Amino acid sequence: MSSFNDLSRRAWLRLTTLGFAGVSLSGWLERLAEAAAPNPARKRSCILLWMNGGPSQMDTFDLKPGHRNGGPVKEIATSVPGIKISEHLPGVARQMKRLAIIRSMSTREADHGRATYLMRTGRAPGGPIQYPTLGSLVSKELERPSAPLPGFVSIAPQRLINAGAYGPGFLGPRYAPLVVGENGRGGRRGDIARALRVDDLDLPGGVSERRADDRLGLLDDLNKDFLAERPGGSAVGHRTAYQRAVTMMRSTAIKAFDLDEEPAKLRDRYGRNLFGQGCLLGRRLVEKGVPFVEVSLGGWDTHGNNFEQVKRLCGILDPAWSTLMDDLADKGLLDSTLIVWMGEFGRTPRINGGNGRDHWAASWSTVLGGGGIKGGTVHGKTSPDGLTVAENPVKVPDFLATVGTALGLDITRQNNSNVGRPIRFVDPGARPIKEVLT
Amino acid sequence: MNSFRPWAALLGVVLACAPSRADRYAGADELAARVDRLLEGAWKKADVTPARRADDAEFLRRVYLDLAGRIPSVTEARSFLADRRADKRKRLVESLLAGPRFPTRFASVWRALLLPEADVDLRVRLQGPAFERWLRSWLASGRGYDSMVRELLTASDQPGRGRLAVSPLGIFYVAKENKPEEVAGTASRLFLGINLGCAQCHHHPFADWKREQFWAFAAFFSDLQPRRVDRRAPRERLRPAELRIPGTEKVVRAKFLDGKAPTLGGGTPVRQVLADWMTAPDNPYFAKAAVNRTWAHFFGTGLVEPLDEMAGTESVPSHPAVLAELASAFAKQKYDLRWLIRAITATRAYQLTSARSHPSQDDPRRFARIPVRGLTGEQLFDSLAQATGYRDDGAAGRRNPFGIGTTRNEFLTRFASSERPTEAQTSILQALTLMNGKVMSAATNVRSSETLLAVVDAPFLDVPGKIETLYLAALARKPTSRELARLTRYVGRSGTEGEALADVFWALLNSAEFVLNH
Repeated sequence: MSSFNDLSRRAWLRLTTLGFAGVSLSGWLERLAEAAAPNPARKRSCILLWMNGGPSQMDTFDLKPGHRNGGPVKEIATSVPGIKISEHLPGVARQMKRLAIIRSMSTREADHGRATYLMRTGRAPGGPIQYPTLGSLVSKELERPSAPLPGFVSIAPQRLINAGAYGPGFLGPRYAPLVVGENGRGGRRGDIARALRVDDLDLPGGVSERRADDRLGLLDDLNKDFLAERPGGSAVGHRTAYQRAVTMMRSTAIKAFDLDEEPAKLRDRYGRNLFGQGCLLGRRLVEKGVPFVEVSLGGWDTHGNNFEQVKRLCGILDPAWSTLMDDLADKGLLDSTLIVWMGEFGRTPRINGGNGRDHWAASWSTVLGGGGIKGGTVHGKTSPDGLTVAENPVKVPDFLATVGTALGLDITRQNNSNVGRPIRFVDPGARPIKEVLT
Repeated sequence: MNSFRPWAALLGVVLACAPSRADRYAGADELAARVDRLLEGAWKKADVTPARRADDAEFLRRVYLDLAGRIPSVTEARSFLADRRADKRKRLVESLLAGPRFPTRFASVWRALLLPEADVDLRVRLQGPAFERWLRSWLASGRGYDSMVRELLTASDQPGRGRLAVSPLGIFYVAKENKPEEVAGTASRLFLGINLGCAQCHHHPFADWKREQFWAFAAFFSDLQPRRVDRRAPRERLRPAELRIPGTEKVVRAKFLDGKAPTLGGGTPVRQVLADWMTAPDNPYFAKAAVNRTWAHFFGTGLVEPLDEMAGTESVPSHPAVLAELASAFAKQKYDLRWLIRAITATRAYQLTSARSHPSQDDPRRFARIPVRGLTGEQLFDSLAQATGYRDDGAAGRRNPFGIGTTRNEFLTRFASSERPTEAQTSILQALTLMNGKVMSAATNVRSSETLLAVVDAPFLDVPGKIETLYLAALARKPTSRELARLTRYVGRSGTEGEALADVFWALLNSAEFVLNH
């Protein structure tokens, strides 16, 4: 890949100096140059740790020891006196100074598809408006148009249950996520580093770099004629996407997806699984200025055998998440990166007959951390049995308004929707939770 | 597609017995001429210089994409371009309307409108193909647009047992969670062009619809039984066609949107009464909403925008007389969709080029130039397959009825799009898929591409002839002399002719001209 860049730049130069490729290609070269320059005005990024299936708050961040609903999981102390979390999250416990737990999430959807849509777009599903997912909204506000990488990367998503909740909606494909490692491909036994690379990035077999340049030259000629007679959004959008794709293919920034560059020891600490390596990739992307990265961990739908499952999943989550916090801090990125931990809902405080917990939206937990967040805080409280919110209920729009505010966004910003009406970032009336913001 | 052969054959028989082509156009030509006069009058008044007439190749590709959902084959393109008959455009429209791709194309368009949940919700997606089959059989039968609406609105939602055992029509209700307000809101948006979304919770801010009016309309669907949040609470006992406005004590009785009360209790089911009102020829909204939507299908922009909010708001039609003409003619023709399409495709506006020759053509609401539109994922994949001879190895079949994991479905996931066709965008992943992906790699490799192999090996074609064939396959047109000279030089310079032709084909298939409708 390294000689790739030099070769192609020479090829571009050859093309442009011959006058063969014309004006638009020289524009691409400027983009490449710009992409390589450091960016002093780096804004805050977001890494969303998405817990697919709905993690049990009772066994992670809101334990009820001594109560019948509590189950067998024990509490441990954290680095912040007075705050206790699950024994399965010792690494996260050490990060508590950098984290804020919200124990009073109160939402209304307890169906996977609907709740996923609600949590990820801030809106209940249904009706003609296709709302954008959080990553699309944030990247639209924060991405640099000239950046070599897209503004939104989704790592290992499981989109089947509600694809709309993962898409750009009315913002359009320009803000669609770049997806890698979908549906756990490469999962437990496969080649994880390979699964986390971008699809279709490499030239088709048998096509050399020089030939690819010839092809792009031919394409540019065709498009120039077509565009000259048909100015306007669609044709320009097509050219822009190709320019961004080629820029990405040929930029050094794409090496962010090459995890082999990282020390083996650090990779071990993250955990040699899709989620752990995905978190590492998340850090590498944030380092390159990608404003929104989400990493999914599935399996939280623990209707049966909840306690074994939660323990196993925490074994993946805990090292990955805590290493991510330390790694970001080591790289000087923690203050400029917001970490969000959430699923689509929580799980029933009551333990069912199969030693499991079912869907529960009335009282559950999420966690925020890093940039913009007042660490070492717990916001809200549930009743002793965990069944109701006792203090400071938090609704979905409030939660997303908090995320937006922590990122430094104007949460009253409006976007034009597919039904011709302007739509705000979050519902009007949403109030950020001041108590967890710096 | 195979499963459609029987009715395609049947349709052939029906058409053979049907009145001649001239008769089927009876009235449609006259309507197109009236629309032309109205648009031309509007152009004159606004000092608009319309674009020139599209040439045959441009018209051919556009009408294939609009009616058949794919580009024409090389053979289809050659024979149309060589045809010297004066009425060949009409003949082409007629053959496409009679062909098996027309029901497929319009079923997919109407599925996306009626059942958008299938794109996002797995449970609904599994029933999407059955719902589309139902739409296809309606379109193939030639029955009026009103019959589809009536059948849908009067369907029973739960013929089978179990959550997935619903009828093809039942899934429409299941997707709307059996909520009267969701079904009523969808029906009024899509079939009447009235958006009551805001009136559900409060009086409509811009329009006349009151909250009470909305719920009275929803009460036509009060027999639906949504899943209850609290299962212990007893079901409320109300009379038929009655509904309580949530959060209030107020019970409303079904009323049409024009404020009139229906005659109920005569043995006609409540929803039947609603469907009769909706589809009646004198309903002020029904035909207008349908022709506006159909117009937008061909022009990317409706005569009134937004399509879902035509009536009762500040939306003003760009050409009220055109809308009125089309609507009244459509109702008189018993809502015959094919007839309406014959008229629209025969208009001068639809036959204009997309090439801009004057700044006054830029406002899409003047219809003085054909806009450039994005393709749906289906149109793009089926056009790629058509151009390259690509065959999906794992196509949906008896073993895999939902086509999960097939190349086509993977492609469709990546190319799903919900924005307006005239503002179509392209994502980076889409660009990568088209540049380097599996389908494109196979299509532009001499060893694996059917089209390319046939062209490269053709002993009777010289290099310009080969380039021309690739142009016809991808763009349904012949290259200009400038293009031909440039590319012949390119192929001549290259060491291997096959590879150079593959490069040309690659560039054609990645071009804006290929991936857009224009």
